[in-house]
Amino acid sequence: MREVVRFLQNGRVVELADVRPTETVLDYLRLRRGLVGTKEGCGEGDCGACTVAVGRLVEGRLVYQPVNSCIQFLGMLDGAELVTVEDLAENGQLHPVQQAMVDHHGSQCGFCTPGFVMSLFTLYHAPERQATRKTVTDWLAGNLCRCTGYRPIVDAALEACFNEIDDAFSRRADESIAALQAMEQDTRDVFIPQAEGGFFAAPASLDALAELAERHPQATLIAGATDVGLWVTKQLRELPQVIWLGRVRDLDRIEETPGGVLMGAGTTFAAAHPYMARIDPDLGELWRRIGSRQVRASGTVCGNIANGSPIGDSPPALIALGATIELRRGEDSRTLPLEAFFIDYGKQDRAPGEIVTGLYVPRLDPNHAFRCFKISKRFDQDISSVLCALRVTLADGTITEARLAYGGMAATPKRAEIAELALIGARPDRPSTWAAALKALADDFAPISDMRASDAYRKEVARALLAKALVEIGGTPDERTRVSGLRSGEVDHAA
Amino acid sequence: MNTQFVGQPIRRVDGRLKVTGGARYAADFNLDEHVYAVIVNATVGLGRIVSIDQAAATRLPGVIAVISHLNAPRLAYHPHKGAIDPATGERLHVLQGDQVRFYGQPVAVVVADTLDQAERAAAALSITYAAKRPAVDPSASDTTEIMAEASKGPKAYYPADTARGDADAALATAPVRIDAFYDTARENHNPMEPHATVARWDGDRVTLWSKTQFVVNEQAEIAAIFGIPTENVQVISPFVGGGFGTTLRTWSHVTIAALAARQVGRPVKLALTRKQMFFTTGHRPRSLQRVALGATPDGKLTSIVHEGRGETSRYEEFIEALTAGTGFMYSCPNVRTQYRIVPLDTGTPNHMRGPGEAQGMFALECAMDELSYELGIDPIELRRRNEPEIDESTGKPFSSRSLMPCYDRGAELFGWAQRNPAPRSMRDDREYVGMGCASATYPVLFSPTRARARLLADGTAEIEVAASDMGPGTYTSMTQVAADALGLPLDNVRFSLGRSDFPPAPPHGGSQTMASVGSAIRAACAAVLEAAARNREVRPIEAEGSAQRDPEVAARFSMHSFGAVFAEVGIDSDVGTIRVRRALGVYGAGRIVNPRLALSQCTGGMVGGIGMALMERTMLDARDGRLVNAHMADYLMPVNLDIDRLEAHFVDEEDPHVNPLGVKGLGEIALVGMAPAIANAIFHATGTRLRNLPISIENVLTA
Ligand SMILES: Cc1cc2nc3c(=O)[nH]c(=O)nc-3n(C[C@H](O)[C@H](O)[C@H](O)COP(=O)(O)OP(=O)(O)OC[C@H]3O[C@@H](n4cnc5c(N)ncnc54)[C@H](O)[C@@H]3O)c2cc1C
Ligand code: FES
Ligand code: FES
Repeated sequence: MREVVRFLQNGRVVELADVRPTETVLDYLRLRRGLVGTKEGCGEGDCGACTVAVGRLVEGRLVYQPVNSCIQFLGMLDGAELVTVEDLAENGQLHPVQQAMVDHHGSQCGFCTPGFVMSLFTLYHAPERQATRKTVTDWLAGNLCRCTGYRPIVDAALEACFNEIDDAFSRRADESIAALQAMEQDTRDVFIPQAEGGFFAAPASLDALAELAERHPQATLIAGATDVGLWVTKQLRELPQVIWLGRVRDLDRIEETPGGVLMGAGTTFAAAHPYMARIDPDLGELWRRIGSRQVRASGTVCGNIANGSPIGDSPPALIALGATIELRRGEDSRTLPLEAFFIDYGKQDRAPGEIVTGLYVPRLDPNHAFRCFKISKRFDQDISSVLCALRVTLADGTITEARLAYGGMAATPKRAEIAELALIGARPDRPSTWAAALKALADDFAPISDMRASDAYRKEVARALLAKALVEIGGTPDERTRVSGLRSGEVDHAA
Repeated sequence: MNTQFVGQPIRRVDGRLKVTGGARYAADFNLDEHVYAVIVNATVGLGRIVSIDQAAATRLPGVIAVISHLNAPRLAYHPHKGAIDPATGERLHVLQGDQVRFYGQPVAVVVADTLDQAERAAAALSITYAAKRPAVDPSASDTTEIMAEASKGPKAYYPADTARGDADAALATAPVRIDAFYDTARENHNPMEPHATVARWDGDRVTLWSKTQFVVNEQAEIAAIFGIPTENVQVISPFVGGGFGTTLRTWSHVTIAALAARQVGRPVKLALTRKQMFFTTGHRPRSLQRVALGATPDGKLTSIVHEGRGETSRYEEFIEALTAGTGFMYSCPNVRTQYRIVPLDTGTPNHMRGPGEAQGMFALECAMDELSYELGIDPIELRRRNEPEIDESTGKPFSSRSLMPCYDRGAELFGWAQRNPAPRSMRDDREYVGMGCASATYPVLFSPTRARARLLADGTAEIEVAASDMGPGTYTSMTQVAADALGLPLDNVRFSLGRSDFPPAPPHGGSQTMASVGSAIRAACAAVLEAAARNREVRPIEAEGSAQRDPEVAARFSMHSFGAVFAEVGIDSDVGTIRVRRALGVYGAGRIVNPRLALSQCTGGMVGGIGMALMERTMLDARDGRLVNAHMADYLMPVNLDIDRLEAHFVDEEDPHVNPLGVKGLGEIALVGMAPAIANAIFHATGTRLRNLPISIENVLTA
């Protein structure tokens, strides 16, 4: 057992014994350390002003991810390197991304600038980056600027982020990697006790995690804390006991099996992205539009399921694909079709103390066709009002099986079972054969009106999206049209 | 005038501080022994506080004080109205009584050793209310419109009623007519930096490190509220993380911070949360408007009727330029405008980027577009046929007006000629494509300003003005102006702002900083050079200078900026999603002091206009006045991916009359015109006319 949290900053290991379970990294920096370069614009993961870089080892390499420090808990830094805007300049010499921001007038009021600088820093260090405007805009979607109109910032990124990586961090990478490896070799479970039975725990093995979760069924499990962080900063909820699963060895592994993709509960959206894009381009595009770069770097796919939200983006798509999840309580494991996990609003098939350990997503067969569309008010970094995912099995152009799932239409992510039945025997290339399926959606769902969309709009869009999917499948199966935004054929304004 | 630096795309002098995290905003100031204050906001929309149970909160660790109307000292609240405060009514008095006027009104403040402790204690406070149902919807039948006191009479700055000719009669007989209603949403400024104040008392003097666009006003306001001499208040605000109008006024949290600091006898830091900013830091009022146009078949306007209503609070009459542009935009013999306000149970609105013009021009420019289709005349051509020779509302010539040159240049750059005039005629794959345009305007303001210049023995100079820099680059542009005026290299000029003990400047709003502060700095520099020439021994030597508009020139000319804005949208044919594919604005804004700053400022304003058109809307629950979407996840603003291609251009414009620098200002006009250009493009794409902002996919699909 280890009763301190340890992370690397500026080449030195910081050890903290005094870590409140839900103290945020931002509060730690600004309030405890007086490091006020990192800004708070919203406290809820939406604006990116608080972005810091967090470096971790990925297969022996040091990878920096942008993280919203306002919703990341301090204990989650354990074993990582923390980089803030104060750390970039070297002996008074600006970092290349900082210099480019100055040269291109990337700041007006400058309040968003530290966050942008840190996002750019992570892009500068990103291993597989392509020098396109799209890469940049995608990477920066989680950073809001109310002054500049973004253009100068994107120009700064194009100039600075795609050159040979050569900065203080790359030059001392070997030492940093050695320091991170040394921390990684410490396989003791982290347990920081608090008054009145509270604690922050970061077990190092799955067995220890399962045992701890079973012993403390009322404790809050966190993976990326992109949901739970908001419970604390927005709803001011007290969470005395927190178990972070980010240290559990191999829980973040993801692999391709002959039939599909298997991922552990620690797998982030960012890590899963290429795997999902290989299953289907629509799925890749959906992944790209989940949250922002920051949210995808921390948020996990299993967290998106375990939270039970009716508007989580991944569940409908994963349900349509026939995904299964694996749960564990103490010693006992079980596997469930994903749709069976969602029972009702706020109610999932998960016993107290039970954890989601992994997810399996089957690949598409040659006789499958898949489409998935997300409708949101703002195209990027916005929660969906309706999400539609369809997988059909085709024999000679006729549908023999259909899995059609929606988000935003009911109290849970849900299959449209009546419409699915109506689709069997239909031919996507003959709209008259699936007219009944469109109608059937009205029997499947009675959506509600809320701030994001009215019930009438939801119904209308649910139908339009199913029709769109079928038209696409029946017409030119290889031509993908996005609901909006950049498409495959459109010019990307490259550098 | 020596223009070695003015007109050059000089890099920001504060760029380095900003990219290293070294720029200090209000909440970044840490004082010795400071404690934290957290405001508690009313959870009813109207009524009275019945009881406050603070026992649980007071027992929590670290809590130093819980202050509410029950134990707060009575504050002096001497009369004081700054240039930007509503002329009629009385500002909100905080923690002085049990009355709740609007949802989110501050009703208590908790002070504790740490922020966490203060937040917990604030949440532990138990308050009961006698609540009534508030009126928060200006279109509801239970509201009444009034004529604002300050808009009465023909001499009013924003007159309630203006008329030339007989617009209604001309409308009735016009061969071609448009008559439509427009509704624009309440919006919040949402600068990226939340409001914050750090307050420290030394005896009966108080220092405030505070977020403000108007330091001298904050100084005077706090002095009046606390009943102390103005010079006992020092306001420091070196960096402002965006304002867009919200920090023009001194809101109640500044008073609360100062009050709390005095009560506990220690420096207090108070920062609003994003949510709290929606409650008490002003908003763009919702507007309800009618515009009716009459024209001859060949497109000559014969009548313009513009009736507008905007929301205000019950305790102050907020007015803005809702119908102000209508009288001089186009040549027309018969024009009638009417402007009323609707008092509601909300906080007082205030100026937000393009205040009034943004909403008013939305209605007028959409109506012009509607008329162009009705007539079958190209929308740019329609404007050309109604281009006035003079300002017909005052009979004065324009000091300069480049509306048509802006359209011509814009049409060429945008490729307007490729537009098929028929609605719903252009497609790109599955998207309907539409192109729209609209005019923009904003007045050229110029307020009295003083500046101080000091020459030092080492050959460098220091310039001081109580101005502010909320982003457009005051630091940089004023350094350019001073370097030119003094004939010094840029590096030898140090420009300081944001302190109330510097010579006074007008509010950093209304796009007048460049004109007013710049002109005063030129005067101060000239004065110090003269003094230095007379007295070659004494260094440092300093002098002050001032600038203000020559009333004689002001009486002779009508002074406004103009611009033409173009937008292209794509509408998904299946689900109605709207995308701004590209947008372009061309502005005639006098001399451009720094092209890079200008460009960046304009594209920022245009993005604000995209937000206004498609996303931004503060929603209130009609039952209790609760702000439904008071956080960033639901109050959507454009992210960079929402904007594919955005361009701003300037036409050459020399205007010797507006001010000594010949500058007109850019911050406001850049937002005006974007929303109607988008709405007009959406009509062109779909054939559906949408007159309510923000336009959402719902409207497009279910229209
Ligand atoms: C700015 C922002 C934008 C967002 N945008 C989107 C979006 O576009 N689409 C979308 O779907 N979501 C979005 N989200 C929500 C969130 O990012 C996702 O739901 C994410 O997948 C949650 O994963 P996490 O690892 O961060 O979960 P956490 O916050 O760590 O946990 C979420 C919930 O799951 C539980 N949990 C986590 N892991 C396990 C486990 N292994 N076993 C049992 N229970 C577990 C937790 O106890 C908690 O109840 C957004 C969030 C933010 C802040
Ligand atoms: S402060 Fe806005 S994302 Fe963290
Ligand atoms: S520069 Fe002001 S928010 Fe980006």
